[in-house]
Amino acid sequence: MIFLDFERIWPSLPYILQGIPVTLSYTGVSLFLGFFWGAVLTFCKVGQIRVLQWAAGFYTSIFRGTPLLLQLILIYHATPQLTGYDISIWQAGILTFTLNSGAYVAEHIRGGINAVDKGQMEAALSLGIPYFMFMKDIILPQAIRNILPSLVNESIDLLKESALISVIGGADILRRANIVASEKYLYFEPLLVAGALYYILVMVLTFGARLLEKKLKTS
Amino acid sequence: MIRLEKIHKSFGDHEVLKGISGDIPQGEVLAIVGPSGSGKSTLLRSINLLENPTAGKVYIDDICINEGKIDIKKIRTKVGMVFQQFNLFPHMTSLQNVIYAPLKVKKLSFKKAEALGKTFLKKVGLSDKANTYPPLLSGGQKQRVAIARALAMEPEAILFDEPTSALDPEMVKEVLSVMKELAHTGMTMVIVTHEMGFAREVADRIWFLDEGHLVEDSSSQKFFTSPNSARAKAFLEKVL
Repeated sequence: MIFLDFERIWPSLPYILQGIPVTLSYTGVSLFLGFFWGAVLTFCKVGQIRVLQWAAGFYTSIFRGTPLLLQLILIYHATPQLTGYDISIWQAGILTFTLNSGAYVAEHIRGGINAVDKGQMEAALSLGIPYFMFMKDIILPQAIRNILPSLVNESIDLLKESALISVIGGADILRRANIVASEKYLYFEPLLVAGALYYILVMVLTFGARLLEKKLKTS
Repeated sequence: MIRLEKIHKSFGDHEVLKGISGDIPQGEVLAIVGPSGSGKSTLLRSINLLENPTAGKVYIDDICINEGKIDIKKIRTKVGMVFQQFNLFPHMTSLQNVIYAPLKVKKLSFKKAEALGKTFLKKVGLSDKANTYPPLLSGGQKQRVAIARALAMEPEAILFDEPTSALDPEMVKEVLSVMKELAHTGMTMVIVTHEMGFAREVADRIWFLDEGHLVEDSSSQKFFTSPNSARAKAFLEKVL
């Protein structure tokens, strides 16, 4: 091919590949923390305390109603200004993605909880099971089953959105591809490599999700 | 052991229970019968406060449970309940369903709870299904597990809310025979049912409800042979 010159970026390929664990760590850690944060938000929403219900609802609407990129830049730049704490790129990224994905996960979990049969509640009440235990041992396990597919979708979204970290200098796949591009004055090739890497990662997740769904259906 | 005093219950503008009073002594098997919409299930669910009465008092063992500060969870461990839709926990095996509350609410040791669970599964004839998950059980088996689950809390009374209404006809018998056996053990039972043959055979006493009133409270024998009220007569003529 005349227009594509992969040979020149070949030596830089390992450098771009090193972005994979970086991207995956942002995705994985934020998803993990975001799940717990989302669970906390859900408990606030479905619980009986008005103030918490309102606060969780307001929180969700803020994080769903503004661009993620804006949230990221704001947290990265505003934290040192407001608190004097010099937040690292990694911390800012994890914090933003966690806070953001928690808002979405909370909605998924709430849907999963609502899908659990109402009779479960009455059975638990009639046995004298306390609310917290009922939520933890009876509702959540069933709800998580209901929401596993949407959690996988959330992880796919997060994986792609994590590329935003390159804007504040996180050395993920996209950032590294960009660096290679400006070094070699070649844009198409390194960005194509980055795109292929994201695509492969997403396909692996999608495939895993299909397997999981099949397994859930049969068991 | 259960006493109801002028129980009223409204849903919005619609008054379902219009002042029902009655006594259910220890060891009695009481069947609540009546046409659909007469308030049978609502009355039953008022006994363990799954429905909170709009007015009136519910006493369990001479303690008023719907007034002041009462630990309703503790009361509910004394009064078990079996539902029309079984309401088993689908992610737990039969045995886990039965022993969850004894373990977590009564805080029995696992060994004790397991032994208890196995005893009651045996009682309902399902020893071989201890490790089966509810979705793999038939309707009749599910309801028998649900009965074992209620029994495992060793309650003083059990409420049955149309326990056979969701079952295929061929499975009604196995559930009724478990309940019959239970009645012979002296368990206090309150049963909302459409199974008149069963009520006649097993119940000591019948409450006949119509439009939110307790129209008739008689012994089972009297109710089915010579009911006092015209409305009960008309009802029996339709269903028997």
